[in-house]
Amino acid sequence: MYKVTTEVLSIDDAYAAVRRDDCGAVALFIGTVRDHHDGKKVTKISYSAFKEMAEKEFAKIGAECAARWKTGAVYIAHRTGPLLIGDASVMIAVSSAHRAEAFEACRHAIEALKKLAPIWKEEFYDTGKAWISG
Amino acid sequence: MKIAVQLFGPLAEKAGRSTIEVTTSGNTVADVVAALSFKLDRSVRYAVNTDYAEASAIVREGDTVSLIPPVGGG
Repeated sequence: MYKVTTEVLSIDDAYAAVRRDDCGAVALFIGTVRDHHDGKKVTKISYSAFKEMAEKEFAKIGAECAARWKTGAVYIAHRTGPLLIGDASVMIAVSSAHRAEAFEACRHAIEALKKLAPIWKEEFYDTGKAWISG
Repeated sequence: MKIAVQLFGPLAEKAGRSTIEVTTSGNTVADVVAALSFKLDRSVRYAVNTDYAEASAIVREGDTVSLIPPVGGG
């Protein structure tokens, strides 16, 4: 349910992890590698992580979603290693009885991940590279 | 005591390594950080083992202190 992996992220896995008979809604967020940043052409991104701590932070975020929005299940996966334009870097799926809670909890999960997960992004351009935070 | 310090992202790149062992007579994260041979930017957060920790947090023999520069997941 909560993982940092070098493997390609799967929408099917995310959906299967959260789909439940008592939930009528599943919200899915996918972050993908964009081809530009601040007017620069991005060629690739490399993500690195403190895996054990990141997975623990994901679990805390999931527990927070369950407590605040009574979600059915939460799935959070982040990919590390070199990624190319269009690759999925993060996948979050949230199920709940009704859609409002699933949307809100899913939004919360990605915002919290961006603030708390010990994951680092190195962007590569035609002209150089940079570490990107926030 | 000797404490292992883990570096990540831009900090690891700058140091050219991902772990450093420091020796300190103190017992807090701040003591460990003070024993490093380089200064840290204020934006760097700390973790003891796998949890975020304040500078005042107690560190014990065998713990790992991690330096967490600004994160960029997502």
